[in-house]
Amino acid sequence: MSSAGETARNSGGQSSGKRLDWRSSSALRLSSLGIVAVGLLAALLVRLWYLQVVTSDELAAEAVGNIIRTVYEPSPRGRIYDTKGRELVGNRVVNVVTVDAFVLRDQLGASGRKKLALDLARQFSRSGVLTKAAALEEEMANPAYGPFDSIPLAYGVSDSFKVFLAERNEEFPGIEVVQRTVRVYPYGSLASHVLGYIDTINSEELEARRDHRKFYSAVDVIGKSGIELSFEEILRGVPGERRIEVNNVGDVVQELDYSPPEPGTDVQLTIDIDLQAVLEEELKRGLLEARERQDEAVEDKFVTFNAPAGVGVILNPQNGDILAMASYPAYDPREFIGGGISEARFRSLIAPEAHAPLHNRAIQGIYSPGSTMKPLTSYAALSTGLIGPNGFLRVEQTTPDLGYHVLGDCTGRCEFTNPDRAPNGDVDLRAAITVSSDVYYYKLAEQFSVRKGFEEDQVQQTARQFGFGKSTGVALPYENPGIVPDSEIKRARHEANPEAFPDPEWRAGDTLNTAIGQGDLAVNPLQLANAFTALANGGTIYLPNIARASHDPVRGEPSNVIGSRISSCVYLPSDISDPIADGMMGVTTLRTNERIGTAQEAFEGFPHETWPVAGKTGTVEVSGGKSDTAVFVGYGPVPRAEYLVAVLLEESGFGGSAAAPVVRRVLEPLARGTLPEAEIVMERLDLADPLLEAPEPAICPGDPGLLRRTR
Amino acid sequence: MLKNARDVRKTRVPFTLTHFDVPLLLSTAALSLLGLAAIFSATRGIDPEEFNRFYLNRQALFLIVGALLLGAVAVVDYRKLRLAAWPIYLISAAVLGLVLTPLGSERNGSQAWFVVGDYQIQPSEMAKVVLIFSLGHFLARCGGVLSLRQFLTALAITAVPVVLIAFQPDLGTALVYAVVSLGMMIVAGAQLRHVAVLAVAGITSLGIVLNSNLIREYQRQRLVSIIDPPRTGIDVFNVEQSQIAIGNGGLTGLGYGQGTQTRSGLVPAQETDFIFTVIGEDLGFVGSAVALAVLGLLIWRTWKTARVAGDLFGCLIATGVFCMILYQSFQAAGMSVGIMPVIGVPMPLLSYGGSSALSVFLAIGLVFNVSLRRDRPLDA
Repeated sequence: MSSAGETARNSGGQSSGKRLDWRSSSALRLSSLGIVAVGLLAALLVRLWYLQVVTSDELAAEAVGNIIRTVYEPSPRGRIYDTKGRELVGNRVVNVVTVDAFVLRDQLGASGRKKLALDLARQFSRSGVLTKAAALEEEMANPAYGPFDSIPLAYGVSDSFKVFLAERNEEFPGIEVVQRTVRVYPYGSLASHVLGYIDTINSEELEARRDHRKFYSAVDVIGKSGIELSFEEILRGVPGERRIEVNNVGDVVQELDYSPPEPGTDVQLTIDIDLQAVLEEELKRGLLEARERQDEAVEDKFVTFNAPAGVGVILNPQNGDILAMASYPAYDPREFIGGGISEARFRSLIAPEAHAPLHNRAIQGIYSPGSTMKPLTSYAALSTGLIGPNGFLRVEQTTPDLGYHVLGDCTGRCEFTNPDRAPNGDVDLRAAITVSSDVYYYKLAEQFSVRKGFEEDQVQQTARQFGFGKSTGVALPYENPGIVPDSEIKRARHEANPEAFPDPEWRAGDTLNTAIGQGDLAVNPLQLANAFTALANGGTIYLPNIARASHDPVRGEPSNVIGSRISSCVYLPSDISDPIADGMMGVTTLRTNERIGTAQEAFEGFPHETWPVAGKTGTVEVSGGKSDTAVFVGYGPVPRAEYLVAVLLEESGFGGSAAAPVVRRVLEPLARGTLPEAEIVMERLDLADPLLEAPEPAICPGDPGLLRRTR
Repeated sequence: MLKNARDVRKTRVPFTLTHFDVPLLLSTAALSLLGLAAIFSATRGIDPEEFNRFYLNRQALFLIVGALLLGAVAVVDYRKLRLAAWPIYLISAAVLGLVLTPLGSERNGSQAWFVVGDYQIQPSEMAKVVLIFSLGHFLARCGGVLSLRQFLTALAITAVPVVLIAFQPDLGTALVYAVVSLGMMIVAGAQLRHVAVLAVAGITSLGIVLNSNLIREYQRQRLVSIIDPPRTGIDVFNVEQSQIAIGNGGLTGLGYGQGTQTRSGLVPAQETDFIFTVIGEDLGFVGSAVALAVLGLLIWRTWKTARVAGDLFGCLIATGVFCMILYQSFQAAGMSVGIMPVIGVPMPLLSYGGSSALSVFLAIGLVFNVSLRRDRPLDA
């Protein structure tokens, strides 16, 4: 096909004129191409030098980051047991659906993520857990997770759902079902305030635990309240650490090193879950009953008590163990399992109308003790000799209670009265306690102010002696130490806010109010109960114990036993304690023509002969137009009491009619030896853990793909 | 009278190995084996008990077939094959058209393959060599200076396969055709002003194409990324990972099969277009530089063949092969090290792929053919 001309040129090689034509021009042009070639290869070489020699270290570091992943294996948290070794908080392995953040970021677009969330939500909902795609999408975008983290999307899915997802890993990119341990609460919401709850760590908590020996990461859970918080350090296990080399689809190329997780240490509490169940049941019942009862303080119309909240504490006065601690309303720690609680739900829990269910009122709530202060004021008078052979009154000596008392040498408010100015007749110390005579204590308080050799703040001194005004030291978080008022505090308050507190001076009336547990005196219910333990045990104030021991789950034996610890001692010989105890015994038993113990009715029919109970009622006036707080503290069997119960019911009326029946119904099964097991109470309260019994949800029946492939 | 003696021998012996290009053969063999090793490193997987040998075995087969093809092509005098120039050009154009019909199949967004049994044949690879041969045939007849008419005819000859390939669409391969054709036209005596006008027209039409819907979005983005590199997206990820891999190799490399990026499969297409990253990570700067040196040797020998070819046709064939190997190597390696945009082309002799391997061996066979007959006239 070659043309004649070209053939001629080629074959005529020797007549070189024309041949040189193309050769010379092409040589020049080829040379330029050659220079281009050298340039390009040189450019490659320079760039290689730059990448592989100059910046190699940085790029190599990035390469290591690409493929070496440190995977922390969560270690099971320590379990929590009651005093008899029953598991209150345990662990359970559940299937968790997770999505690989790397896949979300690099392999799926926005539309891919949306589709994945939609598909998953559909499958979750079909399997019985109604799920919104938007919620899943939000979780996928949660900034707490790192670029290589597995983001948990659903907890507790069934094994068949796990298989279902594994079958469709192309439909659900990045989705994996892994096993994690979550908390399980065999006794449901019982003792939830003591146990506390766990939830995902927040940024401040994480920051505070930088370089912690038990390594926290942003997806970890941490104790947020109760024992879970105060014993976080020992409950938390040491996470396992696995350094692995992975490839771009997350397959493990090889394992570099591994340290297995060490489970956390178990904690045994002093709580007796049977007692706890009874206390919670009766507390709730007491409040429900109060809601049926007429508030007689409101005149001319039938109004029932609001009775929105209450608190109960049971202590062993012989060693300071907290046997039960209940706060109403309560929350359910199961709501915090896995993935945490929804924000809307949490907001509803902390809303004012919910009455703070997350608060442990036993230590976080403060109340005026009301008339339950009177045994302490009695102690102040007896121990200083104000009541005694040479004092203002002798123990047996009566003084008239006309229903009111007028301060001598007085300016301002000078008349102080019993409730409704009701007279109690002639009362001695015992009777004053039994019938709760305010006037008797007004007189004592006045004497502290005016009598030579006595101190005006003697009542406050005694209150501090019995542990008021400072934390009990219990191993539970957020204890409110309360207030024991004095002139300095009053002045400081005035100076801080002169409008709300116009009077800077401490006046005789303040001393009177303090003597009957009103005014600014404020204690938390555990403090109140703990003060009474000294009266019950002969003068020992214990540091209330909530934990009995910790158990190393690997060694299996108690690794640390916590014995009873004395906080302080009160001088309480029988000539001081007996009159007070007698008066308190009268509270629950005395019924004569002249006088009736304030809680006698509530304890009618109680087996007093075999199991004597001493107690004191309190009816606390509350500012802000609220009904009185009903208080009762009782202990038995006297003289060597093993149980001391303090109950406070907010806006529920008289201590004798609202709080005392609760204490009686808690003590009676103890006195009769008929304490039911917690499980029985739980059934009555409908507290069983629905999760423990939940049947496996059915998934896509008849799906032919379900068993086609096994991995 | 050495010259006479040589002439006498030449006339007597139809085929001689006097000018057998040993460096060209050795560099071809060395690169092929290096490629084979790199492909195995990239594809063997992570289980040492059970390496994946699929790609290794297939590539070895391609190399053997390729070597036979090279020998076969080198034996028959290229000048005798000129008769076939237009028929094979038409056949290749027809096949490139056929692949666009439902007979062809699509992969990675390009309708570029025929599936025959377990094998995928990419006709655009073979058709490169056909274009080199046919265009060389046409340009050689122009006698060393291209008139405008000849220049435009050459463009038309190039345009047929380029347009067909652009329809697949396979931008990378189409660009190879354009570069090869341009190189050959320059050596064949294209006038500077024609080339300049072509360049202006090319840039203008590129602008028009970018704003039209003639090419797909991902291609548009890749072209745009030459001017305005994107900061996110899969291409950036590829480029980053590929540069991390190469940098990770450092001066002496992590050792054969030890490249973590490679083993992790973090670099996409690492057995084909990004094969250079495997060499960079496993063998480091030293290994990559040696590989580039061997490649340079191959390119130099091809260039040298063009310089010493016995006729313009042979010169142009060698020039075409030179351009093809140079451009594809630079494009593939350049995108791996981040100095070229991500436009996928196989790296000659190194990348995995049968069509690519066979076309390169075919091309080098032609170079041998020209080189062996550099001072022998066509037998009558």
